[in-house]
Amino acid sequence: MSVDRRKIAVFSAAFVLRLVLICLFPSLPDLLTGRVEVSTPVNSFKRLQEGLFLYTRNVSPYDGGVFHQAPLLLPLFALLPEAQFHPLPTAIFYIFVDLVNAQALATISESGQSVKSRLHSAIRKHIRWDGVSVAAWFLFNPFTIATCLARSTSVFTASGILFAVSNAVSGNTVNSMLALGFASYLSLYPALLFVPLVLLCFDQRAQGQSQVPNVALFVIQHGAMLVGSVSALLGLSYLITGNFWEFMSATYGFHLLVPDLTPNSGLWWYFFIEMFDSFREFFLGVFWLHLASYVGGLTTRLRRQPLFVITSLLGVFAIFKPYPSISDASLFLALLPLYRHLFPLMRYTFFAISAILYSSLLGPAFYHLWIYAGSGNANFFYAITLVWSLGLSILLADAVFAAIRDEWEQEHPESQGQEVKQV
Amino acid sequence: MTFFSRFSLTLLALWSALAAASSDYHERLFLHPLPQSSLLASFNFRSNTSQQSFDNQHFRYFPRALGQILQHAHTKELHLRFTTGRWDAESWGPRPWNGSKEGGTGVELWAWIDASGDEEAFAKWITLTQSLSGLFCASLNFIDSTRTTRPVVSFEPAGDHPPTDGLHLLHGTLPGEVVCTENLTPFLKLLPCKGKAGVSTLFDGHKLFDAAWQSMSVDVRPLCPPEGECVVQIEQTVDMVLDIERSKRPRDNPIPRPVPNDQLVCDTSKPYNSDDTCYPLETTTEKGWSLSEVFGRKLNGVCPLTDSKDPNESTVCLRVPHDRGVFTSEGTLETKQADGFTRCFTLKASEPFDLVIPEQPVTSEVPLEEPILNAERTIVGHGAERGGMRIIFGNPSDTSDVDFIFFETLPWFLRPYIHTLRATITGRDGVRREIPVSEIVKETFYRPAIDRERGTQLELVMSVPAASIVTLTYDFEKAILRYTEYPPDANRGFNVAPAVIRILDSPHTRDTAQNAPVFIRSTSLLLPLPTPDFSMPYNVIILTSTVIALGFGTIFNILVRRVVSADEAAALGAQTLKARILGRLVAIRDKLGGKGTKVE
Repeated sequence: MSVDRRKIAVFSAAFVLRLVLICLFPSLPDLLTGRVEVSTPVNSFKRLQEGLFLYTRNVSPYDGGVFHQAPLLLPLFALLPEAQFHPLPTAIFYIFVDLVNAQALATISESGQSVKSRLHSAIRKHIRWDGVSVAAWFLFNPFTIATCLARSTSVFTASGILFAVSNAVSGNTVNSMLALGFASYLSLYPALLFVPLVLLCFDQRAQGQSQVPNVALFVIQHGAMLVGSVSALLGLSYLITGNFWEFMSATYGFHLLVPDLTPNSGLWWYFFIEMFDSFREFFLGVFWLHLASYVGGLTTRLRRQPLFVITSLLGVFAIFKPYPSISDASLFLALLPLYRHLFPLMRYTFFAISAILYSSLLGPAFYHLWIYAGSGNANFFYAITLVWSLGLSILLADAVFAAIRDEWEQEHPESQGQEVKQV
Repeated sequence: MTFFSRFSLTLLALWSALAAASSDYHERLFLHPLPQSSLLASFNFRSNTSQQSFDNQHFRYFPRALGQILQHAHTKELHLRFTTGRWDAESWGPRPWNGSKEGGTGVELWAWIDASGDEEAFAKWITLTQSLSGLFCASLNFIDSTRTTRPVVSFEPAGDHPPTDGLHLLHGTLPGEVVCTENLTPFLKLLPCKGKAGVSTLFDGHKLFDAAWQSMSVDVRPLCPPEGECVVQIEQTVDMVLDIERSKRPRDNPIPRPVPNDQLVCDTSKPYNSDDTCYPLETTTEKGWSLSEVFGRKLNGVCPLTDSKDPNESTVCLRVPHDRGVFTSEGTLETKQADGFTRCFTLKASEPFDLVIPEQPVTSEVPLEEPILNAERTIVGHGAERGGMRIIFGNPSDTSDVDFIFFETLPWFLRPYIHTLRATITGRDGVRREIPVSEIVKETFYRPAIDRERGTQLELVMSVPAASIVTLTYDFEKAILRYTEYPPDANRGFNVAPAVIRILDSPHTRDTAQNAPVFIRSTSLLLPLPTPDFSMPYNVIILTSTVIALGFGTIFNILVRRVVSADEAAALGAQTLKARILGRLVAIRDKLGGKGTKVE
């Protein structure tokens, strides 16, 4: 079993790399935890520690402005030894979550859903990476490593999403909905993935059967499962916190209304710092509508490839959600290699990759100039976040274009390789 | 006795000797020369009104304006402080009145309000701050919910209240408020003699606010003696530390000038000593001063409203050694106290009083006591993103521990991480070691901030062992605000209110039968926050919108358009609107061209 040996090698190398980084540079996790590109108000480990401190001392962590993460994380982390005195158990726990995520990613890749689904079969299906390569790409991505070392709680949302997808491609539709419910419970925005995910489940179900099940019934059943799992988690949270509205407004209200404008790699924070007070609510609505609008557009046009819709929606979230961090970008970049066969059709990869590299190198420097050196102002870092978002959106648009062209080539096999135009 | 604040003790003992009659008025000035040619002047004005006449709005000594505000806001006990400068405890020793009559830098207000619930109490509190804001010409109306706290253990009522549940303590601070003359004028108007007679005639805004440290206070409290009826007491104090040299400069010529050559005392033993080089010797004499020099005017008699049951009641007291020569205006009666340092003067009514202390060689000094606790609070760290708070408590006593309550309120944009609270202890040996916080902190009351709603409130019941220095540290994060929430001078930083320390039942406070609490306040802090670029809201809105439009436009452009091969595209091009319009234009041109040729 040479494949398994490769996988073990990749996974253990990823494990050892993270452990070595933590042991060689003991201050690295705390340094990364403090970086605005990695830790946002909704996934910061330091804020989680503060919430945990208050929770273990019977003070409601939601009766304050610091902690905005889901209540179930509190008893989970209360089981681990305190990270400020014993950092290793928490770090190992996070490394395992990373490995589990990579395993889910390998499952998705090995299912072949990205090249051949019920309604679509890619022309260039021979150009692809196997599961281990995709997992390795995820595990050795510096963004993933930084997220893991910074102990950002986004990794749990990422697990939820990856498990939802991996269960969907393996046909476990119930587990898939439960995992999506978990991810939505943690971060709210994964709920937008429901439509493509339920289509993915539906295609998977319909593929094996001669008789296509009723779509409406299928969607309603799975919607009920999602709602059920989220309500069960909320009910558990209520048991933990004892005050339903307090934690709802401190977590989901916080996601929706964006009151904390700590800088991050996204577009919202500086916009809402500079926005005139009377227009703040209006633009909040516009930004959220904008974010949700991609779901309909992508799902309708790319109906035949629901997994690709999920991938591109994750890209959209990494750019346009209120508190994005590099962990969201790393999730998008992890799913993108599933579409290795689309890479030859992409047109602006060099430009997009350059923009992303440029901004990820200059971002920390410009942030330092603004916050510490005082020789730059807020516009320095703001400009870098613009470039970062631009680079990611070019990559995303290019991938969408390649997917559409791939579908066209499948319909017109005779014109494969020809120059195309959109009219 | 050495460690006890003898001065404050004297103050309190003298003061309490005057029995609290149902309706009376007393005023007093206490002068105490401090080291480094400073002078502490402590003014005190106190009057009592019976509870009954207060309730019936029958005001005699009690100021009507304040009384009606208190009744309207259902305020049973009020403490208001206006403070500027810093009390230098290292040079000047313990604080006057044991710190109980001073506030943190800026304005501090706390009150016990009678209300049925928290919300009602807060509504009345807002009424109170708005009204006091108008009365004292101070920005007290800016004490909103983010600057209001409800301390649990730090303050106790000073008056006697009937045992009801309806009393709510609310506390607010304005650390950035600049106290100035416009606050002194309404303060003087509350006095029965309104600065026209008595010790209040010495108040001059130019001198008072030129002081190194000054604190004005208004305290209203109900008092119920075991026998007799309840009274409402108002006590106003002004404490200031003047620099004698600075105050003696004439007002029309305030620029300091060098000592003239012939008055210089030179060290002639120096080899370079000559006509044009001089090594000045330290003066061995104490500088002379007089009331009229330091305050710019004489004391104008006695306020005639002062209760004169005791004809020998002294209104001015001075704390200098008894062998120090003091000259006073004629007709003044001098009484020397048994402690060897205090003498009091009974003034003649309606005659100006001056007090002159001539220059004299120093023979004996008034001993300064050591403070019970030294406290210092600073912000550490650099950068506009995060920082740390460091609070240092030093216990100078070799024998006894100090128990105290540390109370601080932090603005919401300073987000403390309480889980990072650490304590280190340094003994006399100078070795610094980390200890668990629970060894020092007995109890914690913590109420975290909510953005734009309320500030952080932290109360720690602590104990510092004898002869040791305890340092508490914790990390905090600085929030970035909306651009309209910054003041015009955004890069100056934001004021953080001083911490309040109340010493608990120490041997010291037990000895002063007054049961007056000992308070220490740290200095206020300046917190720099990260700032956005204030000049470009339009640019930011435009640039962000452009990037979003680019993303949205590109993706939806790709999604809604049809894919065709390049050849097909050329063929299709003929049917597009653009091609058809172009075609029509060409046709029109041809037509016009055709006409032209015909005409020719």
